[in-house]
Amino acid sequence: MHPFLIAIAIAALAAAGPAFAAEPPGQEIFQRQCGMCHAEGGTGTFMLGRRLGPDNALLAERRNLIEPYVKRVVRYGLNSMPRFTRAELPDASLDAIAAYLVRAKPGAGDGPTIEK
Amino acid sequence: MRRILPVGMNPAAYTRALNAFAGVVGKPWLFNTDEDRETYLDIYAPGDEERHAPSAAVAPATTEEIQALLRIANEFKLPLWPISRGKNMGYGGAAPVMAGAVVLDLSRMTRILDVDPKLGYCELEPGVGFFQLHEYLTANKIPLWLSIPGNAWGSVIGNALERGFAASPYGEHSSNLCGLEVVLPTGDLVRTGMGAMKGAKAGPLFKFGFGPSWDQLFVQSNFGVVTRAGVWLMPEPEATATLSMGLPNPEDLGWAIDVLTPLRLNRTIEQSVGIASYMGTATVSSQRSEWYDGPGAMPDSVVQAILKKYDIGWWNFSVRLYGGEGAVAANRRTVEDAFAKHTRREFRASTWTKGQPSTPRGGAPSPGVFPLQVVNWHGGRGGHIGFSPAMPADGKLVMEQFARTRKRYAEFGQDYSATFYQNTRHVTNVNLIIYNRDDEGQTGRVRGLFDALVGDAHANGYGEYRTHISYMDKVAATFDFNGHALGRLNEKLKDALDPNGVLAPGKSGIWGSARRPRPPAKGRGK
Repeated sequence: MHPFLIAIAIAALAAAGPAFAAEPPGQEIFQRQCGMCHAEGGTGTFMLGRRLGPDNALLAERRNLIEPYVKRVVRYGLNSMPRFTRAELPDASLDAIAAYLVRAKPGAGDGPTIEK
Repeated sequence: MRRILPVGMNPAAYTRALNAFAGVVGKPWLFNTDEDRETYLDIYAPGDEERHAPSAAVAPATTEEIQALLRIANEFKLPLWPISRGKNMGYGGAAPVMAGAVVLDLSRMTRILDVDPKLGYCELEPGVGFFQLHEYLTANKIPLWLSIPGNAWGSVIGNALERGFAASPYGEHSSNLCGLEVVLPTGDLVRTGMGAMKGAKAGPLFKFGFGPSWDQLFVQSNFGVVTRAGVWLMPEPEATATLSMGLPNPEDLGWAIDVLTPLRLNRTIEQSVGIASYMGTATVSSQRSEWYDGPGAMPDSVVQAILKKYDIGWWNFSVRLYGGEGAVAANRRTVEDAFAKHTRREFRASTWTKGQPSTPRGGAPSPGVFPLQVVNWHGGRGGHIGFSPAMPADGKLVMEQFARTRKRYAEFGQDYSATFYQNTRHVTNVNLIIYNRDDEGQTGRVRGLFDALVGDAHANGYGEYRTHISYMDKVAATFDFNGHALGRLNEKLKDALDPNGVLAPGKSGIWGSARRPRPPAKGRGK
């Protein structure tokens, strides 16, 4: 993980509270904009599985994400994942996606953890 | 990242131009922050990405807005770099040749204007991607098939305008363009071919119109901004058969090309056949460190281990046949018989008939982005570029090209990775060069390798069909008949159409008088 990403992950983790949203509005945007890679069987799922293990392969099911980290990766890219511009993914859409990804998930009780 | 202005640009005039841009598109669609500039950089740059850093981006929603932006660009002499969706991965992505240019981002223009199932075409705006069009055709049960490149994240029109190709009967994508709407560099609007007529009914149906035919002049050029295009689509066939084979030895490439060429010429096989080295599988599925940690190219013992693990050949290819069930069966026998004269290996065959679900082995092609995985081969911040000369479809010449290029890869310490696409009368030899951008030693070697490959190809009479933004001058300079007459013609056209040189300076080595760094007749290599 890039040192800068670790730094913002730690900073954001300190301030992060639990996220509760019954049906995050970003789900549809996530599926449309990110699903081609991060759905079941996609490139992103394959790459995350290889890097972080099968439990963290599906991005939408991960429990160790925080919003600043999601936004940073979307705007600056990471490994195979290229960057998304604001023309392609406006800030409001990214906000919604990030909120969706960090939502409370069934069975989650341990909060976000920092990716190794 | 810091903002770099175009050479000679007055900062105050630049600010006024950006304010005027914002007045056209609205402030939310002018992107001028440090983060914005980062998002338009070439994430795979084989060196310093700031060499091609844009100063800002502007995203219009309509043709009229593009016209207004170009008029402002001319007023302030501020260069624009148009992109459809900016996914030209391996060739520069969204980044401009000229540092400081403002990206003209058309990714908001996503209207599918028309789809005609009867005559097999669609009309699109440049922001329409392969995923979007595929979803539209599927959702509306329209029996037309897309021809989809390996990385399908990009624009249908953008890929055609860059001469992208794919393994399908409609795989030569620039040939599917029929009737363009184009904003010229000065802001004027034209339609080409039959579409040049008011109320035209055959714009997307007949490619040539009356008089000179201009569609291909807007391909890989900087003579206009394509805002709409007719694109031909393939009617769903009755059946397909997919035949796959791995060939065990490097030497098998030559005879395989010679077997395929007559089958392409007589149209038994109607699509490009890519014969890919084992690295195509290894780089998508694994990292180099899993196989070998030593310096230089991987030794043959490692190569053999890769072949064994994935049960693949040194070369691997698939042929897909299309048509009525009887025709497909007959063509399948023809292909199998032709290969049986050279190998005892049998094809792995899959068949599909209309009504069955589509899979990767048959039916309608689906978009994907799996090739993006190759950039992780070395670890670190990965990148790739391709060196892709077009050469005669001749087995002996192909083997010579293979041996020459493989030797160069070894000389520069890179793992050889290539595909030879049998494209009927020519072969396109896509050489994939993968690197870790954090390893300056390696990116330096990669640049040396690329220079050597350009020189070798030129010496043998082969030129690239498409190249990365860092190499456009170098590749253009290899087209040197009669003192670079083609370059001089391109420059004359550029000057006539774009006197202020505001549209994509440097694209395909074409700068125009207003921006030309050096006289073209002397060559403009790096």
